[in-house]
Amino acid sequence: MKVYDGSQTESAQQSQPERIKVGIAEYRVATDSAVLTTSGLGSCIGVGIYDEASGVAGLVHVMLPTAEDVEGGNRAKFADTGVAALVEALEAEGASRDGMRAKIAGGSDMLDFSENGPSIGSRNADQVRETLTAFDIPLLGEDVGGDHGRSLRLEADTGDFVVKSANTESTTL
Amino acid sequence: MPDVLIADDSEFMRNLLREILEEDHTIVGEVENGVEAVEVYKEETPDLVMMDIVMPIRDGIEATDEIKSSNPDANVIMCTSVGQEEKMKEAVKAGADGYITKPFQKPSVIEAIEDVVPT
Amino acid sequence: MNVDIQSLGTFNQLAHEGAQQATQSLAQMTGIDAVVDVTKITLLDRADVGEGLTGSEFVGVQFGFEGALEGETVLVFDTESADTIADSLMPGASDDPAMAQSSVTEIGNIMMSGFIDGWADYLDSTIDHSPPEYIEKSGKDVLPEAPESDEHQQVFVFKSEIEWVGESVNFYIYMLPEYEPLAEMMMEHGDPEADAIPIDKLQTFNEMTTNGTQQAAGNVEMMTGIPTDAEVTEISFAPIEDVPKQIGTDTYVGTVVEFTGVPSGYLMVLFDEVSAVNVAEAMMPVETDGDSVTDQHKAAIEELGNIMTSGFVDGWANVLQTSVDHTPPRLVHDMGRSIVDPLAAQVGQHQEHAFIINSTMRTDDVEFNAEIHALPNEKELREALEDLDVERADETEADVEQIFE
Repeated sequence: MKVYDGSQTESAQQSQPERIKVGIAEYRVATDSAVLTTSGLGSCIGVGIYDEASGVAGLVHVMLPTAEDVEGGNRAKFADTGVAALVEALEAEGASRDGMRAKIAGGSDMLDFSENGPSIGSRNADQVRETLTAFDIPLLGEDVGGDHGRSLRLEADTGDFVVKSANTESTTL
Repeated sequence: MPDVLIADDSEFMRNLLREILEEDHTIVGEVENGVEAVEVYKEETPDLVMMDIVMPIRDGIEATDEIKSSNPDANVIMCTSVGQEEKMKEAVKAGADGYITKPFQKPSVIEAIEDVVPT
Repeated sequence: MNVDIQSLGTFNQLAHEGAQQATQSLAQMTGIDAVVDVTKITLLDRADVGEGLTGSEFVGVQFGFEGALEGETVLVFDTESADTIADSLMPGASDDPAMAQSSVTEIGNIMMSGFIDGWADYLDSTIDHSPPEYIEKSGKDVLPEAPESDEHQQVFVFKSEIEWVGESVNFYIYMLPEYEPLAEMMMEHGDPEADAIPIDKLQTFNEMTTNGTQQAAGNVEMMTGIPTDAEVTEISFAPIEDVPKQIGTDTYVGTVVEFTGVPSGYLMVLFDEVSAVNVAEAMMPVETDGDSVTDQHKAAIEELGNIMTSGFVDGWANVLQTSVDHTPPRLVHDMGRSIVDPLAAQVGQHQEHAFIINSTMRTDDVEFNAEIHALPNEKELREALEDLDVERADETEADVEQIFE
């Protein structure tokens, strides 16, 4: 007779979902309850977008506000083109624009040496919000600014967006 | 005992200098930037200023220039981690009387001070 | 001899694509999910190549190559990864040493062919390679001897770091080309109109920086009483988005300044937390309780960082007969990559690739590692190199006595 003890049931439930790491100036899309992660966000921003109905989720790690400022072919490097590239990739995997929701973290002001004008972190955050608004994607949560770095993970099936700093407990948006 | 003003943005360095100096000198003030250094100098006119170079708001070379312009008899020793020839020339031009590079040993600080303000 | 930034970028891209090709071959044959994390071109002293591998056992598959490029290249696995790779190719292979060796050699052969073919295609030429040679060695001995040259003490190394997804093991591809054929090829494929870096002067700059690191290490020793050695100083070239990956994800304590003048940029002095506590306590009269990083530790680190920064940049200023100013140090205590990230972003507003100057120092007495990383703005670095008088390279120290006569 097969015995199902507590520990077995628990470990079965905890079967590790696939972890997908997203590097700087990269985006990745997941379709099957994977966990998307990115780390070392200083002034960079991690933008997570998910569509619960289709179960499609994606994460982009952008570095600078807008592609207009610099030449360079990589769309994921910039807030404006990075969000656009992610939205297109999500739609290609079957997500609907109407169902998309966004959460963001990063955009710290740490180590901003610019004497005048807003920091790159806050310009990144402004550009992300503006681009999301242009795509009509609601921003449901954000943890931006401050003077510390962040790491985060997006759980594709729930849209839970867990943000962690070096010296604090993690928070879920 | 000679009066000394210490200007350095590093608390650690101010403590170190205080420990070295307090035996034979009266510390009249400890400040963290060039603006405060000039203000406290004018209030206290100490015999000597130990002046860092890289400080927020106003650097030590500018502060030295102003102190020396208002009082050519003032004694200012630069006490800095900067070891660049061009900076030393700027310090001379501003009127600095001595230059100590960090990290320093106690005897070299005492020696530099003796050269400028004999006890 | 000048090399333009664009062709350095192209070569970096070639090495990166080659490494990706190699990694795909690995994934297809073994099912191991791996990605290329970083690819960089580094200029460093030939004696220092592979210093980062110290302390571990490695398996390597090595080739010589010749043709449009000449030199040696090696694929390096740690011993455990090599076993896993052998088993995934043929279950149980790791129990039979001969079989394990043959499996790994074959994987290496296929991966490295992919790596080299990309170069040959781009160069519209052929590059032949010798049969793969299997080696098992400790630390940097797993790498081939850096190519000898009478004229150049420093060598270019192309290094790709490949990360095995979900595992904490990495493997590496090193390519060590002969200097002359590489230099010729860079010239041929460069754009004579583009902004160029004088390569020979870059070597001199590297030597100056080595002096600066020794100065900084001397300063640490003087302030802490801990005998400290400068270990490695190197200049790397990488896409701006790969810059933060040069530093680990661990938490660091240290200082950051912006420096202005020629050159300009950002400079970090970083200690891991254990080292920060050790070095700060060596500077302080009393020991503090516990092993966490306190405000007292941070105040000591702030001043040490300041003094190390000056030791590092003063040599540049004195050789270039200019002044390099820096801001007061900003204390940081955060994840390494997020410290570098805003600095890379600031530099990245004006350039697509960056030079990164990395120095490490170490001591045997207590656990203590310090890293200095400088991120110069390309334009000012180029100007600094143009102004650099190679004859003055060893005049890094100012003469206080003479100036204050």
